[in-house]
Amino acid sequence: MDPVSLLLVVALSVLSTLLYIFIGILPGTDETATMAPIALTLLLAGMDPMLVLVWFIASIAAFKMADSIPVALAGIPGGVMAVPQVPDALLAKEQGLADTILRKGMASSVVGQFVAIVVSLAFSYYLMPAGDWLRATDVVLGVKVARWFWLVLVGTVVLAVTSRSKFVALISIPAVALVFQGLRAVYGKSVSISFFLGITIGPMIFELLSILHKELRKSYARKGPKEVRLLKVGKISLNPLKILTREELAHSTIWSAVTSVLATVMSPVGLTTLIGDLLRESKRDKVRGAVLAYTVRDAIKNATYIGGTLIPLLVIGVPTGPMAAGPAAPFFNKYEHLGMTARDFIVTHYDYLTITAMVLLSSAIAFLVAYPLLVKYSRAITLAVFRRMPAEALYGLFIAIVLMLSYYDAKIAGIFGTLVISLVSGALWRLGVSLGVMFMTLVAAPMLVSLLMALPV
Amino acid sequence: MGNEEYYELYGEYVSLKELGVATLISSVAAMVFFFLAPQVASLIGVQTSGLSITLGAIGATIGFVISTFIIKVKRVVSEV
Repeated sequence: MDPVSLLLVVALSVLSTLLYIFIGILPGTDETATMAPIALTLLLAGMDPMLVLVWFIASIAAFKMADSIPVALAGIPGGVMAVPQVPDALLAKEQGLADTILRKGMASSVVGQFVAIVVSLAFSYYLMPAGDWLRATDVVLGVKVARWFWLVLVGTVVLAVTSRSKFVALISIPAVALVFQGLRAVYGKSVSISFFLGITIGPMIFELLSILHKELRKSYARKGPKEVRLLKVGKISLNPLKILTREELAHSTIWSAVTSVLATVMSPVGLTTLIGDLLRESKRDKVRGAVLAYTVRDAIKNATYIGGTLIPLLVIGVPTGPMAAGPAAPFFNKYEHLGMTARDFIVTHYDYLTITAMVLLSSAIAFLVAYPLLVKYSRAITLAVFRRMPAEALYGLFIAIVLMLSYYDAKIAGIFGTLVISLVSGALWRLGVSLGVMFMTLVAAPMLVSLLMALPV
Repeated sequence: MGNEEYYELYGEYVSLKELGVATLISSVAAMVFFFLAPQVASLIGVQTSGLSITLGAIGATIGFVISTFIIKVKRVVSEV
């Protein structure tokens, strides 16, 4: 790589880190809704996909480190991935351990990211030959079906049976697939960006429309303003290795390695909840269990995001898990100016060593910026965000972005199509179906519907 | 402040009227920038499709910044 590109890599990593520290701390910022549109914009603007990947990896590092800060300080999650940490944090805070979990969380984020990078890159390197096999097609019921489809289908079903409402989740898979394919047929093209944004903002749109209903509105009414108690923090060491105990480091390392691979087909939120809960229950002492669970969950958040992005990107070439089908989806899209998907461009134009170096470099830069900044100013930044950032402005921004991308995909009809998807997604989410099931169904939909139509009965 | 009625949306307290205003500002700004893209593209000589999304996103962000100035924050932070 030439010096100019290298300079660009450094600049993009720093910029992405600063932006996503802010987004991470901001409450209510959904990962897909904040990461995917920016990556998409950069790709559409003609930026080299490798540089967009650099941006994306740095954003994972910063976002997943910062989103637990408001959890530790105020019990408010900064993103969907930080929600499982809330109960641990509440227990730890009662014992006056807010600054303990704050620093442990940040240190284990660093561990999670690097362990996951090493494991996913090594795993991908040895698994690359399997990519061709997975992309090959077989004829089933007269329909051409790619082999990776079965992987996606199994992942979707697993996610469905781990949803709060298993039955609804399972029957929703073919139903939602029909909605997607129906709209695609009407649009006359294979739209996906506005669909996955529709899924993402579904719960919010559903709640918003419920508030417009006279009776339903009552359960949402609150006397304002909302009171937030922000805890004080003491001095924190700048050396992350001093912060974690041996046990925490061991658990963070092992579980990061395991979950980074599992995230190829499994949901990051699901894994963060599952492993954290297991560790929490493994301790007799409730407080020690909560601190351990909180710490390891922070590592798993980074690890699943890295593994869930890199393995499908490098090996399979299609989004096989909720991470790849959600926040990282723009990399699997085809772009006219590239003549291929962003993912294909990366693997055909750069060798494995360059990709490895870029991913490691952007993570290192992100942590060199984020870690000292957050150690010193996490409380000040949180205070400023809570005091100055109205939720309405943020929600307004989300809705505007979704409207624009829906219009871009299919004009005015696209806006109403996205509304349909939001309503379906919001209603299913209300009924206990994880959003990941719908993201995965979006990927499986074309082949699933073809198979459904080819059934002899 | 004190006794005003808000709605809890996604864990945050919001005023419906102000949410409407913020959405309108961001959406109008996004669409204006989006539709200006072909003109800007011909000026600087790049592809329109990519630029319209980029400009639209910039427009929406400008709308967001304007909204943060005109909308009141519904949180009271107490430091303990």
